[in-house]
Amino acid sequence: MNFNWISILFRFVLLVGIQVLVFKRINFDYGILSYSHIFIYPLWIMLLPFKTPKPLLLIAGFIMGMTVDAFYHSPGVHAAALVFSAYIRDFVLRIIEPEIGYDPDQPFSIRRLGIIWYISYAALFLLLHLFVYFSIEVFSFVYFYEIMLSTITTLLFSMFIVFIFVLIFNPKS
Amino acid sequence: MRNLLFLLAKFGGTILFILLEVICFYIIITFNESQGDIWKHSTNLLSGNINQKVQNTSDYFALEAINDSLLTENAKLLESIINYRVFSKENEFQEFEAIDSNFIEYKFLPARITNKTFNKRNNYITLNKGLQDSIKIGMGVVSSNGIVGIVKNVSEHYCLVLTILHGQSRISAAIKNNDFHGTLMWDEMNPKQAKLIGLPKHATVSVGDTIVTSGYSTVFPYGVEIGNVQDYAPLPNEDSFEIIVNLFNDIPAVTHCYIIRSIKQEEKLEIELGVEDEF
Repeated sequence: MNFNWISILFRFVLLVGIQVLVFKRINFDYGILSYSHIFIYPLWIMLLPFKTPKPLLLIAGFIMGMTVDAFYHSPGVHAAALVFSAYIRDFVLRIIEPEIGYDPDQPFSIRRLGIIWYISYAALFLLLHLFVYFSIEVFSFVYFYEIMLSTITTLLFSMFIVFIFVLIFNPKS
Repeated sequence: MRNLLFLLAKFGGTILFILLEVICFYIIITFNESQGDIWKHSTNLLSGNINQKVQNTSDYFALEAINDSLLTENAKLLESIINYRVFSKENEFQEFEAIDSNFIEYKFLPARITNKTFNKRNNYITLNKGLQDSIKIGMGVVSSNGIVGIVKNVSEHYCLVLTILHGQSRISAAIKNNDFHGTLMWDEMNPKQAKLIGLPKHATVSVGDTIVTSGYSTVFPYGVEIGNVQDYAPLPNEDSFEIIVNLFNDIPAVTHCYIIRSIKQEEKLEIELGVEDEF
């Protein structure tokens, strides 16, 4: 397997850096928006190479989650959610498999799969990730309404940023 | 071994996923305050519930021992109440010092009923205390609701009690607060009712008055409740009332009794016998 280690590592540092240096500081302090955050670090797991073996994917999710947790002072919460997301990545990919199928060499090429596919992939992946994340953060389904509200508002903001990020970096592999 | 490897290859991802999630959740509930609190609260609810059930079950098995200890405690309380009552009747102007053993005239011993009859003309009950517990013939027996009877016969471990529901039962009883006294007998019909005879005609009686033991016999201390007046009528050709008494104590339903031991009984009997000899 020909992983592009440098680019993966670079993306890791970049995503964590933007996440904890920029988006962590953004607080929406306006009514319903106060429930929302911006999370872009799941993008790293989303964009890991198509053929990454599952155990490696899970460990990657765990490391990324714990790194973010270290800055958010919430040990284990992001990690638990991201390990879950890494586990279901295959199912998500299978659900939204395009008619032309995945190209094993360039699975995540925007040019090949189109921007619509990208947005739906990111939306589904982030939706599941955020729902699990907020459930674990609240740790009780008594607050189901708050969990859903946080998930949806955060999803909207994060999707916007993810969209920009994907346009700028235009991942190929 | 090959099967194990095959299993790992097939389910390795899932196993690792579960393992990592377990680690994550362990970290979450250990290092996060709010999640840890919720975890503790929830597990406490669960374990508290289970503990409660276990406790309930084990409590059930301990009921007998608890019953016995409560009975002993009751006996002590009853003892102090009765002794207080007796003392304050005899020494109206002195203050009662409960702990002082000089004032203890009556001792109470708890006992359990092992056998009883209540559908005959002469009814007895058997208690699980006997010579071993220094029970003697002639001691009085009460329950928490009032008088029960008098010890008729004693064996090593048991004693037979002649209840007040017996044709030959004679108890010295008085109207509470005015001290006119008479003899309580059973009318041999109704286990809830008894007769009080020999009360002088000038006594003031009214329906509802409480009847208590008089304390003139050495068997019962003054003030053990018996029942209340249901009806009364002067006997023809006699200078006394006959009173129908509603018994407080549902004697067929009693399960626990207290045997009363009068400490000064022998002394009292001795001096009274001396008087009788003179006649």
